[in-house]
Amino acid sequence: MDPLLLARLQFATTTSIHFLFVAVTLGLVTLLVGLQTAGYLTGKPAYERLTRFWGQLYVINYVLGIATGIVMEFQFGLNWSGLSRYVGNVFGAPLAIETLVAFFLESTFLGMWIFGWHRLRRGVHLALLWGVAVTAYASAFWIMVANAWLQNPVGYEVRDGVAHLTDFGALLTNPTFGMAFGHVISASLVTGGLLMAAVSAWHLLRRTTDYALFRTSLRLGLVTAALAVTTLQGFGFAQFGPVGQLQPTKFGGGPDRDALVADWTARFGPGDWEPPVLSDVGLGFMILIGFTLGAVWLLLPLLWRDWIIRLKAPLWLILLGLPLPFVAMLLGWIAREVGRQPWAAYGLLPTAQAVSPVSPGLMLTSLIGFSLLLGALAVTNWMLLARHAARGAHDPALGRPPAPDTDAHHQPVFV
Amino acid sequence: MELAWYALLGLFFATYLVLGGYDYGVGLLLARRGPAPGSRTTLTALGPFFLGNEVWLVAAVGILFGAFPRLEGELLAGLYPAVLAALTGVVLVTAGVQLRSRPAAATARARWDRLVVVGCVLAALGWGAVLAGLLQGVPLGADGHVVGAGHLATPFVAAAGLALLALVAVHGATFLTLRLPAAEAPALARLATGLVPAALVAVASATVLGLLSDRVRAAVARPAVAVLLPLALVAALLTARAALRRGRAGTAFAATATALALPAPLIGAALWPRILVSTTDPAASLTVAEAAASRPTLALLGWLALPLVPALLGFQAMCWWVFRGRIDGRAPVYW
Ligand code: HEM
Repeated sequence: MDPLLLARLQFATTTSIHFLFVAVTLGLVTLLVGLQTAGYLTGKPAYERLTRFWGQLYVINYVLGIATGIVMEFQFGLNWSGLSRYVGNVFGAPLAIETLVAFFLESTFLGMWIFGWHRLRRGVHLALLWGVAVTAYASAFWIMVANAWLQNPVGYEVRDGVAHLTDFGALLTNPTFGMAFGHVISASLVTGGLLMAAVSAWHLLRRTTDYALFRTSLRLGLVTAALAVTTLQGFGFAQFGPVGQLQPTKFGGGPDRDALVADWTARFGPGDWEPPVLSDVGLGFMILIGFTLGAVWLLLPLLWRDWIIRLKAPLWLILLGLPLPFVAMLLGWIAREVGRQPWAAYGLLPTAQAVSPVSPGLMLTSLIGFSLLLGALAVTNWMLLARHAARGAHDPALGRPPAPDTDAHHQPVFV
Repeated sequence: MELAWYALLGLFFATYLVLGGYDYGVGLLLARRGPAPGSRTTLTALGPFFLGNEVWLVAAVGILFGAFPRLEGELLAGLYPAVLAALTGVVLVTAGVQLRSRPAAATARARWDRLVVVGCVLAALGWGAVLAGLLQGVPLGADGHVVGAGHLATPFVAAAGLALLALVAVHGATFLTLRLPAAEAPALARLATGLVPAALVAVASATVLGLLSDRVRAAVARPAVAVLLPLALVAALLTARAALRRGRAGTAFAATATALALPAPLIGAALWPRILVSTTDPAASLTVAEAAASRPTLALLGWLALPLVPALLGFQAMCWWVFRGRIDGRAPVYW
């Protein structure tokens, strides 16, 4: 088997699973900041309960974000050593910054936040959550800077076949960065908002306890999703400009594409310089879903006098709509990443040159092993999420006031 | 400039081995059957520190990628199986510790505990193998790529993996002695001292196999530094044992932490100025300077690191300070 294909499959699998979780992380943490801040300012216990319930789901979801993120980070070196070899001087910088500025602090803050309930002063505890949120956004920022560079390499010069950094600012003003960052953030907020609305809708349909609590989170989730879907569409359409200009081979044809393909053929030799059609398919369906999700706006008037809850049907619609943003995100990444092929760094480093010279057997082992491992963890994680979401908000483990532990075979050591 | 970044890389990886090391050691001890302390209490000891420990690894790999891109590619790809084992272990531990208490059923929790144990074993063996792989060199060709993975299948690599496993177990038990309620301490101290002889044997056999290996002898540029490593490990283990016997858990923990902090810097120093030594073509060996990113990249990251590293250390220190001391009945339980 072709190691290149195996390495690409592994990247696609890991990234997809990673993104399904980090988008929820990013969306939920924003909402949590709102909830805990509201609780801090108003002193109402309802907000603390909301924070604990949604915080627990957030923390469960976060686990898979880290697990897949660590695999992603190692994968660059394991499977794509050519990437670090030829373009590591430039591409490595934003990734290094991401780990130090963002990920390191995000986890450190989150550890203190989880265990800081009833222990830290309320202001400090709230500040920690703000820290988690800010660093989560910083993380997305630097990852998108790195990804945008692969889409459109800038700020470098090639000496002895290796790219060297000349202008770091150019990485930040890269036209393939800004709108994509806005698009991804909006997509995460739509996802987080819709997840919150859907879980709340389920509870309201089942008439579980805590009507008031889930009514609040239904409204919060829905309004967030509606606002974000609009910016999502805006940033989405705004991407067509730079993408069409800088990556003419990506979506569709035209004289620009033909000129670029001719140029590459002259410089790199004849080859198939156009991306697989999968990229266009991804784009088309994503946009379709994007317009469908725009219908969230139609539900907002029903918030008046709780018609949305009384009519019931809208709640079912929200539940049915929950998979849509997840699917659209995968499609969006397929559009962006498959559309970049056959380049690891567009017009600079062919994907085939970036792959590690590792034996196909090892690569296959790693592909199967990690796909099974991460896939199984992902499914388990979703099951746990569903169960905890269904259990409701009466006593989440997160933020529970201290009490003896619950292990069955536990000996009383604290007497 | 390269040296400063190399030192920072060493600092982050060594700190990971110390902090992640007790996570894995504590995780290994979940395998014990019998009475107190229960798994949940054991994991509560890790509590708030757990999330902040593993990030040292992520940051170390980030520095590796940013400041030593060539090394990152060749090191990880060249030691593929060892890295794969370590990575699988890290993923299992991360997910296992955080999720094990989410299901309510005791059977499900016990299953997660087993996964955590497997993960801890894999992580310790894997990182031990990576360190040994560096010490015995890799078949680095003139094109700058490592060929094949069979070079890892040596007794030295296996022994080093086991040695790290044993060290981590002692370290974890010592951490628990320091952290669990005082009533538990004597039993845990006995457990830790009981593990010390096993660690001594493991370190000794790795040392003997290393001394016997032509590849290790050829790769090491400073034999004196390399020999210092096992001697220091033995000294640290004996110090820890003596301290545990006298009920000085703090001193013992400092000793086992030193034992885990030492391998990374001493191996770096023993190989200096090279880092990836070629067993097939001495001229193809990769030096630290060659592996480093070019000037502008290092300068950029340097300006960033200057204010950042103290901030990172500060927030970690805050976490240790806030949650210092032995856990008691009022400690927040979540894992
Ligand atoms: C009217 C609706 C939408 C339009 C016009 C649109 C447009 C685009 C465009 C042009 C790209 C860039 C591809 C590239 O850079 O090669 C993209 C990517 C992407 N889209 Fe959409 N999109 C829409 C809806 C959605 C929705 C509903 C989601 C998910 C909730 C989504 C998630 C993504 C993601 C994750 C990417 C990859 C990262 C990026 O380039 O931002 N999109 N989209």
